[in-house]
Amino acid sequence: MSLRRGALWFLLCLVLAAAAALCRPNASYSYQNREATLAGTSWRYPAGTDDLGRDRMVRVAAALLLSLVGSVAAAAITTAAAAGVGSLAAFGPAAVGWSAMLLCDVFLALPWMFLLMMVRSALPLTTSPAHSAAVTFLVLAALGWPACARAVYRGAVAQRTSGWMLHARATGLHPAQMVRHLLPNLLPLLIPQFLVSIPAFVIAEANLGALGLGISEPLPSWGGMLYELNNSAMLLETRWVFFPLALLVVVLLALEGTAAEA
Amino acid sequence: MILLVMVGTTLLVRFAPGYLSDAREMDARYAAVARAELSAEASHSITQMLRAELGGWMRGDSGVSREFNVPVWVLIRPRLAVSGRLLLRGIALAWALALCASLLSSAGRRPSLLWQAPAAILLAVPAAALATLCLLVNSGGPVLVMALLLAARDFKFLHRALRNAWLDPHVLQARAQGVRPRHLLRAHILPALLPQLGALASLSIVTALSALVPIEVIFNVPGLGELAWNAAINRDLPVLLAVTMIMAVGVTCASFGSHRTTAWREA
Amino acid sequence: MRVLRLTLLAFAALLLPMARTAAAQAAARRPGELVWTIGYDPKTFDPAKVDDQESETVRYLTAGVLLRFNRLTQQVEPELAQSWTVSPDGRTVRFTLRPGLEFSDGSSLTARDAVWSLRRVLLPATKAPVAEEFLAPGKVSVEAVNDRTVVVHLPQRVIGIGKVFDEIAIEPAGRPSEGRITSGPFFVSDYLRSQYVRLRRNPHFFRHDAAGHALPYASGIRLDILENTEQQIRLFLRGDYDLIDSLPPDYFALLAKRSPGSARDLGPSLNTEQMWFNQSPSSPLPDWEKSWFRSRAFRVAVSQAIHRDDLARIAYDGHATPAYSFISPANTVWYDRKLMAPHTDVAAAQAALAAAGFHRQGSVLLGPDGHPVRFSILTNTGNAARSKMATLIQQDLGALGMQVTVVTLDFPALIDRLMNTQNYEACLLGLENVDPDPNAMMNLWLSSSPNHQWSPSEKTPATPWEAEIDRLMNLQASTGSDTVRRQAVDRVQQIVADQQPFIYLVYPNLLVAVSPRLEGVEPAVLEPHLTWNADSLQLRGTP
Repeated sequence: MSLRRGALWFLLCLVLAAAAALCRPNASYSYQNREATLAGTSWRYPAGTDDLGRDRMVRVAAALLLSLVGSVAAAAITTAAAAGVGSLAAFGPAAVGWSAMLLCDVFLALPWMFLLMMVRSALPLTTSPAHSAAVTFLVLAALGWPACARAVYRGAVAQRTSGWMLHARATGLHPAQMVRHLLPNLLPLLIPQFLVSIPAFVIAEANLGALGLGISEPLPSWGGMLYELNNSAMLLETRWVFFPLALLVVVLLALEGTAAEA
Repeated sequence: MILLVMVGTTLLVRFAPGYLSDAREMDARYAAVARAELSAEASHSITQMLRAELGGWMRGDSGVSREFNVPVWVLIRPRLAVSGRLLLRGIALAWALALCASLLSSAGRRPSLLWQAPAAILLAVPAAALATLCLLVNSGGPVLVMALLLAARDFKFLHRALRNAWLDPHVLQARAQGVRPRHLLRAHILPALLPQLGALASLSIVTALSALVPIEVIFNVPGLGELAWNAAINRDLPVLLAVTMIMAVGVTCASFGSHRTTAWREA
Repeated sequence: MRVLRLTLLAFAALLLPMARTAAAQAAARRPGELVWTIGYDPKTFDPAKVDDQESETVRYLTAGVLLRFNRLTQQVEPELAQSWTVSPDGRTVRFTLRPGLEFSDGSSLTARDAVWSLRRVLLPATKAPVAEEFLAPGKVSVEAVNDRTVVVHLPQRVIGIGKVFDEIAIEPAGRPSEGRITSGPFFVSDYLRSQYVRLRRNPHFFRHDAAGHALPYASGIRLDILENTEQQIRLFLRGDYDLIDSLPPDYFALLAKRSPGSARDLGPSLNTEQMWFNQSPSSPLPDWEKSWFRSRAFRVAVSQAIHRDDLARIAYDGHATPAYSFISPANTVWYDRKLMAPHTDVAAAQAALAAAGFHRQGSVLLGPDGHPVRFSILTNTGNAARSKMATLIQQDLGALGMQVTVVTLDFPALIDRLMNTQNYEACLLGLENVDPDPNAMMNLWLSSSPNHQWSPSEKTPATPWEAEIDRLMNLQASTGSDTVRRQAVDRVQQIVADQQPFIYLVYPNLLVAVSPRLEGVEPAVLEPHLTWNADSLQLRGTP
């Protein structure tokens, strides 16, 4: 089995395991069992509890599903936006192309942290954690397209000067019709970008947790759980604190595997 | 583009929540002074601010830090040296590591998982987590963490380039005819890498600059990254502008250099 | 392959030295020097312009003051002044300086220098924050009767006038030196931005110990600028730092395990952690929400639903005490043992809400207007204990049917909402009380003050009980009778407990770490907890 297929199967198994963990009776990611904080492994709590007495296994499973769904959606949006901007820039007049790429560079250089803060403060305070998670991933997607757009632009320019394109233009094909043929040819470029963006978004969300801009309690997020690692005192209490990090590494490895060339 | 970055940064920071607030407002002893200063600032419109900042930069004056009340240049100058040293040492070590690893991994008949797995793991761990782990085991410093992070990315790049070089028809022919690998390395493989150096440098610099902030903050290195982080937290616009500019210039030069070498290669 | 072996050797050769490079080290310690950390660069070394915590740290260690407020006994003691008197009407203060006083550069200190320093602080152009303490600084006059006598004429009585002089440094007349020439135990000798501030011993400091040795014992102090707690603890365990002034609760257990005896829990501090609802009429909240937050029954019910024991045990790892008032038990002079405040009682909370028109529909609580009770608690990032408390309270209030969201914002954004836009529903923050005297909290309790957190800058008190608090606080600020003051403050505490404008949660304990080699430490509940007697601290084994 190729590395890509193997990685995809592995990810599928992880997702199913996470769903199973969430479907156990009485599984709750937010219920605090205050008598059993930082508990070790037990029948009831296979991965122990965190410092507020919440079931770590359920929280990690929920975080896994949330991050994967959010990152896949964000990566899709980013890749679509990048495809749109990149091809427009490549096929429009030279000035449009040049200014679009300039905009990309400027975007990459700006301190995006403030945009996130502004969005956070513009949200009503009583936004439910689920909504704030959705908005977080949307904003990440909005910030992620410049990085992709450059690569798409280069690919689209290459397509513009390719043999079949010149042939089509010479035979008088309308630009709008050419777009329909362009997209399938860009797919080999877009799909790796899409697959590479997914782990990037997972890590970005994890980093946001440290800034306090991430997903609000009690919804678990990888960022929030990695934040526990900042505290060496916590690490003395229980080794289960490494569980989210280990799982993150495994998931990212699998995602890299899906993006690997056969 | 630098102009656009400056305008964009100013707008973002000025309108981010908390620009016109100060922690001292909460402390009754210092609140009055803080409020007086803030209302003076609030009376400036955004166009006035932009004109003051940009005008200052045109004259070569980088402004005065809002947080420390000293000229921005005084804050930045010592930190430039510290960050520069960290970046240079990190990149040099990363290149050395990546080169060794990619040479070993690409020479084999099949892609070697032994080398790819550590690289993939390093790519997967966030910079902040790696830095914290180093602190906890009490070994490894900022240079090592930066080098490991860069090496993982450089390894992927170099591995692919070297692999293509090994699979070039003329190299395959030479191997089949029994030419020694050492000679092949010296005469064919390594020279094929030279044009890629521009792209490698660009990739390294961009990655290093983005990893600079978490590494410096966690290891408490008094460099540009830590200054940028503190300036962001404290809404210190002049300092943030200066640091953003420096980083933008660095990234622009890196990508410009990479374009030049690509053009030279294709010429 | 030889190539393989060579490359592997190169690898190892490169990695090993790098791996041994530890993270940033602390600079080398000079003999007899004490070292600890401060959180950020002091904004100024000019003692008259101090308006932040770390500048005040440097001022405390370097400035020579007429009177010192002893942090342990909580009494004002003469320092550079040999004696002082206050006239019966409180409007004249007379100081007699000690004989033979000198500055750190050897020049003599006389009443002229004291008068010059006091006048400089009172000058509007200096913009000294401490001038506000005189209430009407423009009308204060200072004169030197002779070489050793200074007289200060105040336009009106100032409660606690002695403590004000604790913050005014006496500098050489006409030669303000930003801390380099001082009459205190140390003077500023070096400053490397973002790295450290170095203080050196003042050889001409007047104070001697009981055996006649000149103080300070230490040859100097180095204050490293370091905010990262992990680093601080690592370097403390290595012996690079001699003390940690305030330890976060999560690190206490770690330190206690690695270095038994160093970590000390000194009991409740003067600080409080509290939660309050936004009652400001100008806030952009919908009217029905404002009516909930203005309802006393609502606030008291919330207070009764919170399990403060869990907050202390889980969020602070046991290093906190449940709180019911703004005066902590550590404040022995003002603490009211007989205070009656609502304790945890979920059934009573539910009954009170029902009586006020709130009713349950399944698991959701509906207000009298029919809207589900849903609000957010705002707190700041970077404080693990506060975030945990907010999450614990989220579950506690869920038992009442209230749906609470926890929002963490960074400090500037948070303050913007609290002070400028009033766009928040509930907030959870802590209050640091540096001065045990409730008079220092006037700005918090007067309804016209911008720091009257739940409803800032009221033109007239919005409720009768706020008007009563205003009256009582003004009374305690103007009366000379200690009994009257005590009664007024007790009454304020009772009103606050009845009305719960602030729902007090815990008093965090004072957690410190002291190196086993450091002698002379006598921890105090007031700041600076461990270094208030810096002139008497020394490392064991140094002459």
